[in-house]
Amino acid sequence: MNAKKLGLYVAGIALLALFPVVVRNPYYIHLAETILIYAILLFGLDIVVGYTGEVSLGHAGLFGIGSYTAGIFFFKLGVPYVMLVVGASVVVTAMFGAILALPALRVTGPYLAMVTLAFGTIIQILINEMTFLTEGPLGIKVPKPSLFGHKLNELEYFYFVAILMLFALVAVNRILRSHLGRAFQALRDSPVACDCMGVSVYRYKVYAFVISAALAGLAGSLYTYSEEYISPNTYNFELTILFLLAVIMGGRKTRSGPLLGALIVVTLPSLLSDISLFRGIATAAAILGVVITAILLVKRQKTWRDVIVPVTSVIAMAAFSYNLENIVDWRLTIFGFMTLFVVYYLQDGIVGYLRNVSGKLWPRRAEVNDIDGVSASEAWAPRSQAAQTSGKLLEASNILMQFGGLKALNAVDLHVARGAIHGLIGPNGSGKSTMMNVLTGIYQPTAGSVAFDARSIVGQTPSQIALAGIARTFQNVQLFGEMTATENVLVGLHHTFHSNLFDVVFNTRRYRDEERAAHQRAAGILQFVGLSDMAHEEARNLPYGKQRLLEIGRALGLDPKLLLLDEPAAGLTAPDIKVLIEIIRKIRDHGITIILIEHHMDVVMTISDLVTVLDFGQKIAEEKPALVQSDPKVIEAYLGSSVTDSAHAVQSVADAAPA
Amino acid sequence: MEILLQLLFSGIALGMIYAVIAFGYQLTFATSGTLNFGQGEALMLGALVGLSLVSTIHGGPYLNFWLMIPVVMVFGALQGAVVEWIGVRPAIKAKSEFGWIMSTIALAIIFKNVAENIWGKDDLTFPSPVSATPFHVFGANVQLMQVLVVIGAIAMMLAVELFNRKSIYGKAVVATSNDPDAAGLMGINTGMVITFSYALSSATAAFAGVLVAPLTLTGATMGTSLGLKAFAVAIIGGLTSGMGAVVGGLILGISETLTGFYVSTGYKEVPGLVLLLLVLAIKPAGLFGKAAIKKV
Repeated sequence: MNAKKLGLYVAGIALLALFPVVVRNPYYIHLAETILIYAILLFGLDIVVGYTGEVSLGHAGLFGIGSYTAGIFFFKLGVPYVMLVVGASVVVTAMFGAILALPALRVTGPYLAMVTLAFGTIIQILINEMTFLTEGPLGIKVPKPSLFGHKLNELEYFYFVAILMLFALVAVNRILRSHLGRAFQALRDSPVACDCMGVSVYRYKVYAFVISAALAGLAGSLYTYSEEYISPNTYNFELTILFLLAVIMGGRKTRSGPLLGALIVVTLPSLLSDISLFRGIATAAAILGVVITAILLVKRQKTWRDVIVPVTSVIAMAAFSYNLENIVDWRLTIFGFMTLFVVYYLQDGIVGYLRNVSGKLWPRRAEVNDIDGVSASEAWAPRSQAAQTSGKLLEASNILMQFGGLKALNAVDLHVARGAIHGLIGPNGSGKSTMMNVLTGIYQPTAGSVAFDARSIVGQTPSQIALAGIARTFQNVQLFGEMTATENVLVGLHHTFHSNLFDVVFNTRRYRDEERAAHQRAAGILQFVGLSDMAHEEARNLPYGKQRLLEIGRALGLDPKLLLLDEPAAGLTAPDIKVLIEIIRKIRDHGITIILIEHHMDVVMTISDLVTVLDFGQKIAEEKPALVQSDPKVIEAYLGSSVTDSAHAVQSVADAAPA
Repeated sequence: MEILLQLLFSGIALGMIYAVIAFGYQLTFATSGTLNFGQGEALMLGALVGLSLVSTIHGGPYLNFWLMIPVVMVFGALQGAVVEWIGVRPAIKAKSEFGWIMSTIALAIIFKNVAENIWGKDDLTFPSPVSATPFHVFGANVQLMQVLVVIGAIAMMLAVELFNRKSIYGKAVVATSNDPDAAGLMGINTGMVITFSYALSSATAAFAGVLVAPLTLTGATMGTSLGLKAFAVAIIGGLTSGMGAVVGGLILGISETLTGFYVSTGYKEVPGLVLLLLVLAIKPAGLFGKAAIKKV
């Protein structure tokens, strides 16, 4: 941890500790307490929204479950121990989070948003209707808890909440920086690549929801004691929207964002209840908006068309504020407009915006934390490979892959010898990539068997197959765009982690050792593929050729026995291709078997030991490179003419394809 | 037995309303792959605007029920176009799924809040255009309005289907839904088609609003749960199948009236939502939908 960060933490803790001493007004202390409670929930919501990229409209429901678990434990069961009650809330809510995540196994995006909305609605109905448990609309009264036989007063409870908030902050921070956090981010950026790196998208989505729900449960139970009274109407749709607004307005994928967002949404209603204050803010915003627009227009950074909507809306807002009698009635409209504004003009939230601005003013060096600084003690070398070097590593027999009436693969055999580079070529649409998808479990073959290392892998999930030792790259690059090159490789190295949530949260020795080893290995891999100097660059910012190399590096992280390269040379320049060939050779020399799909015939022909040719889903040839080039069937497949017409076409196959 | 039959009849009427709203979801999903999370609010606005036109609350009545319907549908179309313009188009341009989900939700909140401020928070009664005295079918009471709802809903869906199949504009809509890029290259203004689909979708919802209003109470809060349950219907039936919307609507409408009577009215929303969760967990493409093959 560097000095600046440490200073920030100390300042934050001091602020929390001193706030109630300086501000003695119990109303404000209670308000601050609510902010801290919301912040706990928002840390969790950010895991789902910011990291896995799903919209959850069910967090008010989860918050309600947490609140009511605490309420019921105290009111119905008479459990006096606050830590037990809070713990129970966390566990119960986490279980509901798992239930909520079950449909998430199958759907994403708008479907998932609706599922979570339905979930939230059901929870509110159940709280209302299950009067035997929840007292229904009457609500439950709960006094402030006792800790070690001492009944906490308002001030002491504030500190209690503050300590738990800090604990949540540190825990979430550690989780998100660990291999778990990387998995959450990876499954957002490219689910399919995530699965093929042995990180099961399903499993980690459920983890994300469970952790998020646990935090919502913690926040909910604290809220019960804080308010001392709970009723079903609190946990409505409006609260869900408020939570979402807070996360995206504060800034996703940060810890300061949720804190700021909580501050805004909690204080907003009290700000809005004061009409003159609101008028002042609206006027200031309008003036600020006009000034910024004027500057942008003068500098010609924006055109009239770009700015007309936001400027008109801030001016209209100001005008509107003077025509209002009762602002409270229009609260939701204002929330709605704020949401729209954030979605379109402040996508990274306030914290993200400030970071961008400060980044432009004071360009920072790439963020290097203490572990990232580890240099590669040695360039990459695979872990001990199986000693045997003969025999078949992969035996795919009689593969039939049918989409409706189309047979994308028809009774294809593909046997790959251990330690070989096996070329797989064929015209577009011949079934090469379908074969890749069958081998990595993305498609289930209609018929046929696939034995890898003498074990059948048909029916296994992509992540199981990846962990068994088959790694791949993708025809259209599937990197985790928002993660750095190092982090991309670290996702490939996910399988080297055995630490659980406990290890991560308490930063145990086991976790630290694993993290250090993984970083060292990642640095070695990046050195091997020649990307050491771009280790901290976000993958989406790398040049195309480097992205392809990074994909290979990430696949090597899996320590595969078999590496599937799907058109690795596509779009590469001639010098890049030379580097690529060198790298592929080196990988093979390390004992890793390779299947190479490629349209650059010079690449395939120089490095392959054996070449299989597919055409219209059927294998038409399987020979040594030199023989394939003169095979009449192959020539016909590529050039569509009979042998006699194109006696000279032999060379053409090699020439035509790279173009 | 009469009671069961009666529950079935009201379930069917309710189900057809769900079907029409679900049909509206399908329209926008087909052209742009987006959904209006404020579909329920479009219905609510339609019903309330209709109420202002036919009743005395805003100095009316200005029109009778039948003349009011086209006016409300035009209003709905404009409202849908606004949603598309503000909430959806920028998000499609930015290829941001999160963007359109959040902005249609935000617009829904704004519409609801504005409606609360104009029409108040309490539910209002919508004057029935036809006699409210029930008649008897096999001993069960049936209201004429319920029959009208079923007829109106079917007519609306048939009209849209006919438009899509027979007219050249409809062909543009179908082309856009099949392949927006190719349609754009063929000279179809796909942006216009998407706006049109939103207008049509909200007009359908507004129409459903004035149909259902005489049977239930009208108010700013009526839309949210209708919209959510209609989404459940769209999912249960499959987002790509008109037939699915009808079947899904009937399943939900009937299960809801049965639950309301035999269990408790408080729980009547639950079966639909549970059904939604189950369908999404087991067969996300819906009962009538086709699963897409993912390409890598």
